[in-house]
Amino acid sequence: MKSPAAAAARTAGRAAEGPAPQKSGTGPRAAAGRRPARRIRRQLVTSPWLFAAPGLVIVGVFILYPFVSTIINSFTDKRQLVEGKYVGLANFRELLHDDMFWIGLRNSTLYVLVVVPALVVLPLLLALLVQKQIPGITFFRSAFYTPVVASIVVVGLIWVWMLDERGLVNAVLEAVGAGKVGFLSDQWLLLFSAMGVTVWKGLGYYMIIYLAALANVPRELHEAAAVDGAGPVRRFLSVTVPAVRSTMVLVAALSSVAAFKVFSEVYLMAGPTGGPAGEDTTLVMLVQRTGTGLTGRVGYASAISVVIFVVTVALMLLVLRADRKEDA
Amino acid sequence: MRHSRISRSPRRAVAAAALAAVMLPLSACGGGDEGGSSDASGKVEGEITFQTWNLKANFKSYFEGLIDDFEKKYPDAKVKWVDQPGEGYADKISADAAGGTLPDVVNVSPDLVAPLAKAGIALDLDKSAGKYEKEYLPGAWKSHQVPGLEGTYAFPWYLNTGPLFYNKRLFKDAGLDADKPPKTYDELFADAEELADKSKGKVATLANVPTVEDFGRYGVPLMNKEGTGFTFNDKKGVELLTKYKKLYDVKALDGQALTATPESTGKKFLTEAVAMNPGSALDLEKFKKDAPRLYQNIGITPQISSTGKDNMYVMGVMVNTRTKRTPAAVAFAHFVTDAQRQMSFAKKVAIFPSTKGSLDDPYFTKADGSDVARVRIAAAKSLKTAVNYTPVLFSEQMKIELRNAVARALQGKQSPKEALDNAVKACDRLLKQS
Repeated sequence: MKSPAAAAARTAGRAAEGPAPQKSGTGPRAAAGRRPARRIRRQLVTSPWLFAAPGLVIVGVFILYPFVSTIINSFTDKRQLVEGKYVGLANFRELLHDDMFWIGLRNSTLYVLVVVPALVVLPLLLALLVQKQIPGITFFRSAFYTPVVASIVVVGLIWVWMLDERGLVNAVLEAVGAGKVGFLSDQWLLLFSAMGVTVWKGLGYYMIIYLAALANVPRELHEAAAVDGAGPVRRFLSVTVPAVRSTMVLVAALSSVAAFKVFSEVYLMAGPTGGPAGEDTTLVMLVQRTGTGLTGRVGYASAISVVIFVVTVALMLLVLRADRKEDA
Repeated sequence: MRHSRISRSPRRAVAAAALAAVMLPLSACGGGDEGGSSDASGKVEGEITFQTWNLKANFKSYFEGLIDDFEKKYPDAKVKWVDQPGEGYADKISADAAGGTLPDVVNVSPDLVAPLAKAGIALDLDKSAGKYEKEYLPGAWKSHQVPGLEGTYAFPWYLNTGPLFYNKRLFKDAGLDADKPPKTYDELFADAEELADKSKGKVATLANVPTVEDFGRYGVPLMNKEGTGFTFNDKKGVELLTKYKKLYDVKALDGQALTATPESTGKKFLTEAVAMNPGSALDLEKFKKDAPRLYQNIGITPQISSTGKDNMYVMGVMVNTRTKRTPAAVAFAHFVTDAQRQMSFAKKVAIFPSTKGSLDDPYFTKADGSDVARVRIAAAKSLKTAVNYTPVLFSEQMKIELRNAVARALQGKQSPKEALDNAVKACDRLLKQS
């Protein structure tokens, strides 16, 4: 962008040069040509904004506005039907003394700690298995991907049915003499069962990402390592893993954010109360429970949402920093 | 210069957008039309919107006929009917109320009407339609009154109460008299322990933890008279929870009761994993179709109650204070809930009218030999003395607080007294914040 001073200097310069010699017939054409040029210059500035406008409007309405609104609300005592007033940090102070918040934070953190390593490693192993070109492998690739396209509600209900005290899994356990296991009545088993469903459902998705990354690993590296006497495990650790490391970081970043914000699996399996005595409540479940309904506390739920946002950003930064450290 | 001015405009646009993003949430505050008058005495005219709660799928023709009748009676009035799904109904009302788009006439329950009344969105019918009060059962009319507020905020619509179903075969197998099911909580606890003992913990009697209605039917005072605090942590409340804890320990209460939903408990009863479950006349058809063996052994008994009174659920029809057509909205809400319309609705589905004298109709007093009629007559009889034990101010969040406290006591993490004290504390806090 040019400053007015520079523009003035440019105009002054042109004046000092005097009128340019006019060739016959060029004057009017040049005058007419200046107008389109100006129009083009103007369009050069406005056109990108016009092209971006639909996207900007969507981002503004569905992301920016709710985001800013949530932050503002977190400093108020707003309820669903009553406009709030500014209460400063009261909501955040209340969070510190809310047992359910700490339970939610514990469960969401635990979810990240268990689910993320599983979703970083298992899909890679699965991708290595289905990468091989053998007859019928397409069937297995499709089969592993099926849970990804299935509705989470349907998947959740099927798992509830299977893990019920009278369900398929307990029937098998009883048949082999292991006795019934309270997958849906014990707080920890319930949480770990939900984690199992998350991992099972996510395997196929991350497997596809790894398959794309594995296709770019040069075959020569494997061949050279094999010539040097490296076995399959050594080749996996020394060739495959370094080659797909950036994909592993991506998977870790995506899955950690998704795991921290888990809602559906736990809600479907533990019920609206969040398991026995609410001990399986996650932070997003707490937002839903606190902020919705006619008596919902929008201000307090917004404060929890702000905490979730901060932790999510911190998780992303942590993963990216770990990646950068390894690069160095 | 012109170039410079042009290039500044996007910056202005961005700045304006950012400002709008910040200001819009604030401008949303207090949005919505402040609305109309509470005077319902004018001419019944204009278009109004009527919202029901998950009724279109099964009763479309009934409501279309009702609206036609109303429009014939008041040719200048027009009713637009919308129906909302059962799931998330409170959230839908909440969003509409906050956005100023709540329909003129809305199907509500007492716990939904309380926050709307407090927010000044529900019309006080004592002022606007007090002349109709005498048409309804006194208890039903009072069911939409909110502690701490003067007035009545919805016309009473249909009432419901359900019997308790029990599995006679499981009772017989445990050596109990299948023709003498428990009536009071003490009898229930004795039978449940016997059932668990004889089946070696394989058959539970109940699949649900006690709710606030159970505390009410056990005779526990739920709220103070002023409606400013909960009292279910008193001696009797602790006694009830202690007894439930014993049931849980001996597996007379199902192991998954702590996370049970009405659907999951219904399924357990169908598969004969539990011996007793509450239900309605509609369930009999389901038993007949899905569980013929259970249907052959089905027993029907009134709800367990130590107060001699059953619990009843009340539906209402409220008028939005922001309606521009108050006379038409009030007239229509009354039309939907008058004796004639309620009676005709009751003959289509297992519900009971809240209008005076309707329950004395032969339809609710004379048996025709069918199971459905038997359940209907028993329920109608119990409704004459039934009480809505759910406090009007008991919100969804409070229900979860109580349920979690009960779960902590049953698991032995807290004593019944400690758990109930904490639940009352949490519910009182929510009450103050509401």
